[in-house]
Amino acid sequence: MPVSPSRRLALTAAAGLTALALSACGSSGGDATAGGGPSVAGLTAAPVKDGAAQVAVTLAVGSGGDACQLDHATAAAGPVTFTVTNKDAASITELELMSDQRILGEKENLAPGLPAVSFTVTLGGGTYQVYCPGASVENQTFTVTGRAATAPTGDAATLLAAGATEYGTYAVQTLADMQTAVANLTKAVDSGDLAAAKKQYALARPFYEKVESAVEGFVLPGFTADDNRGNLDYLLDMRASNLDPAVGWHGFHAIERDLWQGGRITDRTRTYAAALQTDTAKLAGVAKTLTYQPEDLANGAAGLLEEVQSNKIKGEEESYSHLDLVDFAANVEGAQQAFAYLKPGLEKIDPTLTEQVATQFDRVNTALEKYKDPSQAGGFRLWTPALRATDAAAMSKTVQALQDPLSQIAQKVATAQ
Amino acid sequence: MTPVAPSDRAPGSQQPGAAAGLVRRRFMQGTAAGVAAGALATGGAAWGLGGSLASAGAGAAGGADKDLVDLTGQHAFYDQPHPPGIQTLPQRHAIVMTFDMVAGTTRGDLQSLLARWSAAISRLMAGQPVGQVQPTSAEAVAQDTGEATGLDPASLTVTVGLGPGLFDERFGLAAKRPRLLRPLPELPSDNLDPALTGGDLSLQVCADDPQVCYHAVRNLARMVRGTVHTRWTVIGFGRASAGAGQQTPRNLMGFKDGTRNLRTPEELDSHVWLKDADWMTGGSYQVVRKILMNIETWDADRVSDQEKIFARTKLEGAPLTGRKEFDTPSFATLGPDGQPVIDPTSHVALASAENNGGIRILRRSYNYTDGINAYGQLDAGLLFVAYVNDPDHFVRLQTRLGASDLLNEYISHVGSGIFAVPPTPKVGHYIGEPLFA
Repeated sequence: MPVSPSRRLALTAAAGLTALALSACGSSGGDATAGGGPSVAGLTAAPVKDGAAQVAVTLAVGSGGDACQLDHATAAAGPVTFTVTNKDAASITELELMSDQRILGEKENLAPGLPAVSFTVTLGGGTYQVYCPGASVENQTFTVTGRAATAPTGDAATLLAAGATEYGTYAVQTLADMQTAVANLTKAVDSGDLAAAKKQYALARPFYEKVESAVEGFVLPGFTADDNRGNLDYLLDMRASNLDPAVGWHGFHAIERDLWQGGRITDRTRTYAAALQTDTAKLAGVAKTLTYQPEDLANGAAGLLEEVQSNKIKGEEESYSHLDLVDFAANVEGAQQAFAYLKPGLEKIDPTLTEQVATQFDRVNTALEKYKDPSQAGGFRLWTPALRATDAAAMSKTVQALQDPLSQIAQKVATAQ
Repeated sequence: MTPVAPSDRAPGSQQPGAAAGLVRRRFMQGTAAGVAAGALATGGAAWGLGGSLASAGAGAAGGADKDLVDLTGQHAFYDQPHPPGIQTLPQRHAIVMTFDMVAGTTRGDLQSLLARWSAAISRLMAGQPVGQVQPTSAEAVAQDTGEATGLDPASLTVTVGLGPGLFDERFGLAAKRPRLLRPLPELPSDNLDPALTGGDLSLQVCADDPQVCYHAVRNLARMVRGTVHTRWTVIGFGRASAGAGQQTPRNLMGFKDGTRNLRTPEELDSHVWLKDADWMTGGSYQVVRKILMNIETWDADRVSDQEKIFARTKLEGAPLTGRKEFDTPSFATLGPDGQPVIDPTSHVALASAENNGGIRILRRSYNYTDGINAYGQLDAGLLFVAYVNDPDHFVRLQTRLGASDLLNEYISHVGSGIFAVPPTPKVGHYIGEPLFA
């Protein structure tokens, strides 16, 4: 388990009140009077209504720039509702409640003029930070009095850590499936049956594309990082555009070139296929030793979509076979899997972003739907230059709309030091 | 007509000091130093035309250098009587970009977009980033892309337009449709490319620094990805219209453009701003046209014919019935041959208020180039932007021009859009807020 959920919770309940340093509320000093009046910002605890302490946050222009003003900077342990209104602070568009580096709750899209929004979190005694990027004072302390939270079960960090562990299992399983598919490809190549080999090539492609950004970057023992002879990603998935003359053709695309451009299977093709099988086994072995942090999943998912944008949409990945949409769909599926493992935790942190990403995944999948063709090995129409000319721009925009919210996730789920 | 050789750089009234052949435009950084000598505009200098060269250190006495650019210039966004980028003196560079709402987006998405854009525009116009360039968290992506960091506001304005499509059934806004907003009808000589036409939203971004301009477009587009898709864009350089006090610049045909443009607040009141228009009061309508010029063909035409086409002289820009640029054209004057000196199908004759029942529009155009086309020709033209209080005024003018303008042989309207520009919000509010009331 890479993460200890309660590890960085600052448990300072007792010291909390006296240690308070209110940075931007315009309030200073004063004794704590729990349950006191709501009008004065500062050390009076937020009033409880409907079972939750109520904290109003106003984003407004202050003398030193845009400010993030809390009407109460302290509350009793339990549910706390933050209601955020952007009066006229154009530079502040989001607010996060954090415990050390972890985001416990937040609101985005806080532009002036929009209706107030709120979120509720259950807080144990301790010190928290209200983070308003863009405000003249970005971090403010929020103090909760009362019982310190015991390490909660089912909180966001626990869920995220569990998801990251499960993702590791998914990656291992995907690479095991890849071994089977590559074995089938090798068998077809060895048999000399061109049509069968092409079909098995198409069927073997998706596995690596689903997990490549989580497992790439591994250098085999005994090689330096800049030596492509020991770079598994190069050996499995190099293309003509990144050919290292010192190492030569390897992997899937060397086979693709022979099958489609050469149009026949030679001894060289058989050598490529045998090496691919060996290298796949090495990768599958390496994958079993890996552990992941939640932000690895998020960055990996973002990396897969970068692959889509930079290689698949342009038709550069499968330049001989035009099977780019097979890889495209696999990249998206892999990214969506990583997202799915983060989702239970992410939903607790940022339900809006979670929904946004889920919606955009749906849109990408819907866009892919119309290219499905069961008669093709791999299940998708060929991404030919003619089809790209008419359709690539729209696909790129749809993927872009997913990339942007997806790229926000890593920050939200980060638990690493 | 006596042809005027293009190389005849007579030191006339419009180009003092330009005889040396290099027209330099001086940029002023800071206010105190004033005439810190000659930081050349990056792209701008190469296109320089009509700019005059004030003697170094002369303190720009008495407005001798009318085209001096002060990059510290800044325009207010909130609490203005009218939207920015319309009566604003035309800046040096412009980008128009249009967007479509993505299928499945909601009224709330549109509301959020307009609010986010409004807040961001207020920041950008003040020379501020839209958010953190350097995020606090190592795992965070930047909120602002950063390329305008350290640059002055450069008189940036951003003008937001709402297309007719927003008021269909998708967002429940049909009842709020600006009264005169509907797609432009098909007009004579239209050669529109669907990929360069329409849009649910438009941004007109203008600044004296092209990087400030692009930064604004890029960040505004970025923050609403997923809600909108980009549709079409034109990147303009070199203003092809003049505001009050500015020298009349030239379009890529080499002729002054906008000599008879609207200039005074009174003229804008009469022809541009919407009155008694409910939530649109104080706003305007924006017509954008991408007008391709057949540059090579035009360049091969003798200047006397070019002058006949425009009905103005090339250098001075005087009407063919006058001597100076601002002389009023006389459409009734006959030449020795008994024919009107100004051809009734010349550009000026067809477009003039006198011949169109008093119709006038505010032009705020820019030159553009897309490089080289598929035939190896220079691909360039005019990013035509007009503001009117009734889109039908543009329709009537273009109907006549499209039907018989002598200029049509050399131009082609390939892109088009119409948008309603809502009034500017008060502080704490956003563009189009009454739509969601």
